[in-house]
Amino acid sequence: MNKKIISIIFLLIIVISLTLVYTYYNNFVSEESHYDSPIKTIDENNVSEEIDELFIEEDNEIEIGEMF
Amino acid sequence: MKKISTILIMLMILISISSLAIADEAEEDPEEEDEYEETSEGENETDDIDNNTTKEIEIMNNSLGCEIRFLQLEKAIIKNLLKGEMAVDVLKGLDYNTTDLEAILSEMKNLLEDVKAVNTSSNNSIWLFVKYKHEAINLTKQFRESIKELLNGEKLKQIRERIKEMMSEELENCSKMIRNKIKQFNRNQLHKLYGIIGEANNTFVEEYLNGNMSLAQLKIQISKTINQMNKERKYQIFSEIKEENIKKKIHAQSQVEDMNKNKGKGKDNDNGNGNGKGKGK
Repeated sequence: MNKKIISIIFLLIIVISLTLVYTYYNNFVSEESHYDSPIKTIDENNVSEEIDELFIEEDNEIEIGEMF
Repeated sequence: MKKISTILIMLMILISISSLAIADEAEEDPEEEDEYEETSEGENETDDIDNNTTKEIEIMNNSLGCEIRFLQLEKAIIKNLLKGEMAVDVLKGLDYNTTDLEAILSEMKNLLEDVKAVNTSSNNSIWLFVKYKHEAINLTKQFRESIKELLNGEKLKQIRERIKEMMSEELENCSKMIRNKIKQFNRNQLHKLYGIIGEANNTFVEEYLNGNMSLAQLKIQISKTINQMNKERKYQIFSEIKEENIKKKIHAQSQVEDMNKNKGKGKDNDNGNGNGKGKGK
């Protein structure tokens, strides 16, 4: 009887450990895919950003560094 | 039997510990990735063609864009020359030896003449822009390091304050030319954009060109016009603008890659003056 209980407890430990590891890895993958997801809806900011890239600001300058 | 059960228990414990160790390794992985990213960024910083330059090249796919970039480079060099000359005058008055500084300024003057002489319609104008910008950055750095050897931080600060707002007729003319060219460039972009949208608002264009409307206001108006359209039309216009921007980026990136390839070949083949290295396309 004792042996059976011990076996069940250790099987439980293994199952829990495996579940924890699996969950951890799964979270990792879903976070990465979240960053890679493409834009599916266009909001006002997306349009503004693309329009910004078409023009040059009049005060735009080339930086070559300061003399001192 | 007792022995077998003990071995089994030990085995279970080992398996449990190993699974924890795996989880621990997974936690360490993101750090390793960060380290890799940091190294890559560090490497990029040492690259000759940095991200800013690549961004600047984007508009150089036409003559007007090239003219703007060369004028901007000219302005940056004139500004630094003026500051350098002023600093040398101050140092001479304080009886410092300024031979090295004057030699750097002389090289910078030659560079300015080279920049002014560039034919912006030529095939190798992008390559020349990158080359001259790089030279300008190097000469500026040389001057900065040489002057640091002569003066301490406090004195440098004093000189910096004295010549903070440097202006000259040449610099003023250059700024005016840049502003006009940028307006022309933006007007062309506006016409292109209205071509995509399918309806032109000439009042906005006129107001912008006359100086009655700023570029920021104009961009807000255009965004409003696009955002008021139905979803499909909005998506279509957005895609076309994005395509245009991506094309510019790809063009600039391919120019940079060509230059890097030629640079590799140049090390083996030429004597370093760079003549004949065109855009490659």
